[in-house]
Order: sequence, then C-alpha cells, then structure tokens
Amino acid sequence: MKHKKILITPLPRIYLISSGKENSNPGRLVRQLNILSATMPCIVQIREKNLEAKQLLTLALQARKIQLPTGSLLLCNERADVALAAGLDGVHLPENACPADKLRAFASNFIFGRSIHSHEALHIAEQSGADYLLFGPVFDTPSKRKYGAPQGLKKLGEFCRTTSLPVYALGGVTPRNAALCMAEGAYGTAGLSIFQETARLSETIEQFYRILYP
Amino acid sequence: MIPSSPFLCVITDEALCPVTLAEQALKGGASMIQLRHKTASGNQLYSWAVEIRKRCRQYHALFIINDRLDIALASDADGVHLGQDDLPAAAARKLLGNSRIIGVSASSAEEALQAEKDGADYIGFGHIYPTISKQKDHEPLGPDNLQKTVSVISLPVIAIGGINAENAPLLITRGASAVAVISAVSRAKEPARAAYELLCSLQKIRQ
Repeated sequence: MKHKKILITPLPRIYLISSGKENSNPGRLVRQLNILSATMPCIVQIREKNLEAKQLLTLALQARKIQLPTGSLLLCNERADVALAAGLDGVHLPENACPADKLRAFASNFIFGRSIHSHEALHIAEQSGADYLLFGPVFDTPSKRKYGAPQGLKKLGEFCRTTSLPVYALGGVTPRNAALCMAEGAYGTAGLSIFQETARLSETIEQFYRILYP
Repeated sequence: MIPSSPFLCVITDEALCPVTLAEQALKGGASMIQLRHKTASGNQLYSWAVEIRKRCRQYHALFIINDRLDIALASDADGVHLGQDDLPAAAARKLLGNSRIIGVSASSAEEALQAEKDGADYIGFGHIYPTISKQKDHEPLGPDNLQKTVSVISLPVIAIGGINAENAPLLITRGASAVAVISAVSRAKEPARAAYELLCSLQKIRQ
C-alpha cells in the first residue's frame, strides 16, 4: 500500500453524502452542515454530479466556511482540483475514478476514499493507497434499485475481512440495521436519503452515534 | 511555450478514440492537442492523458486537458483549458503554478479581458463560424469580433468554431495566433491529412 495518509484523529464513523440535488434545489447541504456543526464529528461528502466545476467550487467554499466539530472531514466527490481550491480535507473517488496515488502526488495532505463493488476494485483501491472504502449497496435502497439487487450483509462481511482498510457500509443503512453492519466488521455507516430530512437530522445522527460508538 | 508562428490546435471528440485522433493530428503537424471528453470516467481520462502526453512529447507539441485540472496534474499535462463554467482561471493558477498553461474560452472581448486579468496564458475565442461540434447559446461571432478581441488583449488568441482550411487563413490575417478544430479533423476521412491541410493553409505553404 502506498503513501497512506497518517491521521491525527481517527476517521469519524458516521458518513453523510449530499443530496445530489443542489443544482435544482440548492441550500440543503448548508442546512445539513449547520445542524452537523452542533452534533458529533462526521465525514461529509459533497456529491453533486450535476454541478459544473465553477458552481461546485462555490458550493464547496460555502460549505467550508461552516465550522464542523473537531475531527470532521469535508470531502468532495472525485474532483481533487475543486477540493484543493476550496481547502477541503479530501476526495471520495468513484470506482472508475483516477487512481488515488496519482492524485496524492499533488494533494499529499488529502484523505482519499474509494467506492468498491468488486474484489478487483478492492485490489485497485488498496494498490493505489486509499484511506477508506465505501461498500454498497448493503440493503435495498430506492436510489440504487436500477443497479440490481443489494450486495447484502454477508458480502459486506467478506469485504471487511479481506481488507485492513476501514469500510463504510452504504445503502439502506438505518439506526435499526447499523449494528448488523458493525457486526460484519464495518468501520462505520454512510447514507444519503436518511440524512435528507433536516428536521430530524440531529436526532438521526445521535441514534447512529449510540450504535457506532458503543 | 506557446508557438509564435500560426499553429493548429486539435481537440478530441467522441467520434474517434482520443489517442488515435491525437496521433493523427500530431502526424499532420498539430502543435497543441486538447483532450476533451465530457462523459468519460476519470480513470479513462487519466489513461488517455498519459498516452497522449507521451505522443505530444515525441512531437514537441503541447498537451492541454479540458476542464479537468485534477487529471492534468495527475498526468503531468502541459496545462488546462477552462470554459466559463469550469474552475475560474485565478483558482486554477494557484493550483497549477506558473509553469503550466491555462487557456480560457471567451465569447466576448469582456470575457477575454477578464481571463487575461485572472492569469490566463491564451484565449480560445469562438465560435467564429456555425459549428456542429457543440451546442451553442449565441450566434457565430465572425472574424470582426475576433479582430476586436485580439486588439484589446495582449494574450495569444486561438480561434475556434466551424474552422476549415478555406476560412482559416483569414482568421490568422485578423490576428488569431492559431485555430482550434474538432470535427474538421476528427470526422475527416484521413484525419492526419486534414490536419496537415489546415496547417498549410495557416502557414500559407504551397502544397
């Protein structure tokens, strides 16, 4: 494994992904971050594939201004250039993104995460020096139905046992089933839909916190 | 770094494998290749970039990547080309330093002046003529607007949009430092020959 990032504080176990709808329905990410600023440390990934780089940078700069609890990490999806320009903490790479080590060459302080759906992708992620992995969909989730059946808990366990990297379980994970993911060896859980309702966000984070930090 | 005599920039499109197209364009005498592919994955872009960069070095040509500054840094390209919706040139300059090239698309003298102020190295000005390669939200600018823009900035201006061997020489006369083409080379039966003919027209070499 190459040039892994040496972390001063451990990675948060709760991982929030933005709605992907900042282009048509802007403002939710900022509302979410304002609530998160008063809760526990989280990883937040800005994943807005419908935004051009210029708009994405504006959003990332806006997000960066919000003070999050110590240990929180603000990442963006794929675009290491935008993340650098906005002073974010790192980048989350989709399975088909540029290898992390090529990006780390010019973003040495960054956290690099990677989505994995196969053992081959896991191998590539390990070879190129990822700091954490995102594995899913573990459970059924409306946004991922078009890609076929969920991978399931058993497969999650299989991946967690194969790698020494922290694995976040993604896809239909709720405070009710999060413990099952942890029992399979997940380091934490990630979600998108479950964090959408800002009125309940603080409570949802607390519920996850009790399960993920026993 | 940017050639001083009239030169040809060839931009890749989805019609042909970018590496193949770059190779053909370089054989035909292009001095600048721009990798532009809006739907390819990051990994695919990176792989193409590494291959095209290698070939550009062989031909002493410049290699520029459209929009993706991250891929440009990862693949050690010579620079980036930024549209008005991409990273602002000033932010890009901070990340790239002074040794890499930043080109900025402009469709007015005002945009060109702003890009110059923000630290761009060249302006891509267009579209000059009607074009099928990209969806456009304004009328073709024509040679007069090109000339007007060239007169107010000191950066080299690369004319783009609907350019072929017939209309290219006029644009050089009107002050363009180069012309950039997509379909004129990528959709030609013989891309290398099409590139060569364009270059000859620019440099007024008798064929």
